[in-house]
Amino acid sequence: MAIETMTVEAAQAMAVGYKAIGAGLAVGLAGVGTGMGEMGIGAAAVGATAEDRDMFGLALLFTVLPETIVIFGLVIALLLLF
Amino acid sequence: MTEVMSGPAPYIYVSTRMRVRKAKLIQREEYLRMLNMGLPEFTRTIEEMEYKREVDELSASFGGVDLIENALSWNLAKEYQRIIALAPGEMKGFTRDYLHKWDIQNILTILRGKVQGLSEGKIRAVLVPAGELDATVLDRLLTESSVERIIETLPQKQMAAILSAGLSDALETHSFGKLENELYKYYYATLIKAARGGMKGGLPFFKYVVFEIDIKNITNLFRIRAQGKPDVSTSDIWVEGGSYNADELERLCSVAGLDEVVDTLKKKVKSPVLIEALESLREKKPIYAIEGMLITAQLNQMDNVSKRNPFSISPLLVYLERKKYEVANLRALARGKEAGLASEVLEKYLVM
Repeated sequence: MAIETMTVEAAQAMAVGYKAIGAGLAVGLAGVGTGMGEMGIGAAAVGATAEDRDMFGLALLFTVLPETIVIFGLVIALLLLF
Repeated sequence: MTEVMSGPAPYIYVSTRMRVRKAKLIQREEYLRMLNMGLPEFTRTIEEMEYKREVDELSASFGGVDLIENALSWNLAKEYQRIIALAPGEMKGFTRDYLHKWDIQNILTILRGKVQGLSEGKIRAVLVPAGELDATVLDRLLTESSVERIIETLPQKQMAAILSAGLSDALETHSFGKLENELYKYYYATLIKAARGGMKGGLPFFKYVVFEIDIKNITNLFRIRAQGKPDVSTSDIWVEGGSYNADELERLCSVAGLDEVVDTLKKKVKSPVLIEALESLREKKPIYAIEGMLITAQLNQMDNVSKRNPFSISPLLVYLERKKYEVANLRALARGKEAGLASEVLEKYLVM
């Protein structure tokens, strides 16, 4: 019933809204996944650095590697929005 | 303070630290190099290692090989206390329970020393305060006038009850062996109870405890066999909770052929490492060689378990045991070199 009465403008506005939700989910879920990945790596990195300061650089590199997943989410979000 | 636990991160943190520490332990090649050193060079090497701080601290009170031996013991004790402080949540409880065997060792050392009339200083020199009883408590126990008073003032009441029950017999027979067996039975029963208490990480710990009990029982079995047929019943020495029951082990003590002993033991074992070690026992070997092989099998099995359960109590237990044998190896090297033993002889006693 609601669809029958919907105008073209309203349908376009709804599509924009769904895109925005999709983009938000892409970035948000990618962020959560990254956080979960970084949790273990970060804990191990801090542990290794606590024992040996020389491991700091390598540990930091491994810790930031999962952040690429957020970039994937961001790319999807940008593709959806623009 | 309320402990904040957030998922597996604390386990990962501690497990990684233990792995890094394990990687820093002395490797086989280094031991082989040490075997060819003279005593002064060996002493200098120890002083330049992780033991430097303890050597510096104790150099005013001890000298020569005594200094090395005491520095090694103190380092081990401090390291174990640091690990207890590091361990999170349930891991701390398991670690404390596991290190409880040092309390048993220390109490028995004090009792034996007192009965033999040794001075407080001599007894203190061989104590390793790596368990629940720290150096202050052990010092207080050392100053007690009699063995009865030591047992009365012992803070661990369950241990005190076991000691009280068997003390008169030990004093009559001049042997604390039976009492030692009882204490270790209590120790392993406590470990099994803790591991099966339903706590997180309990299963790998339980599996390891069963494996350790098996190794202990097999070692005792071969010791008894090496002594010839025992004239008294050995039923009280077997530790319950492992793969083998006491009757089975008792029977194996008097079986003539080694093949039958190995075949029977192999039937209940799943670990390939232990099966391999048992296979090599088909030939008659001296007891020190058998013990060495079983210890190596135990350590290798621990390594395997810790690889399968990388974020559990296992990496911590592996480090505790490997560190213990590093200290034992260095102590053996120091004493052996002082006694002028050949490096070929010393090598046989090292756990590498």
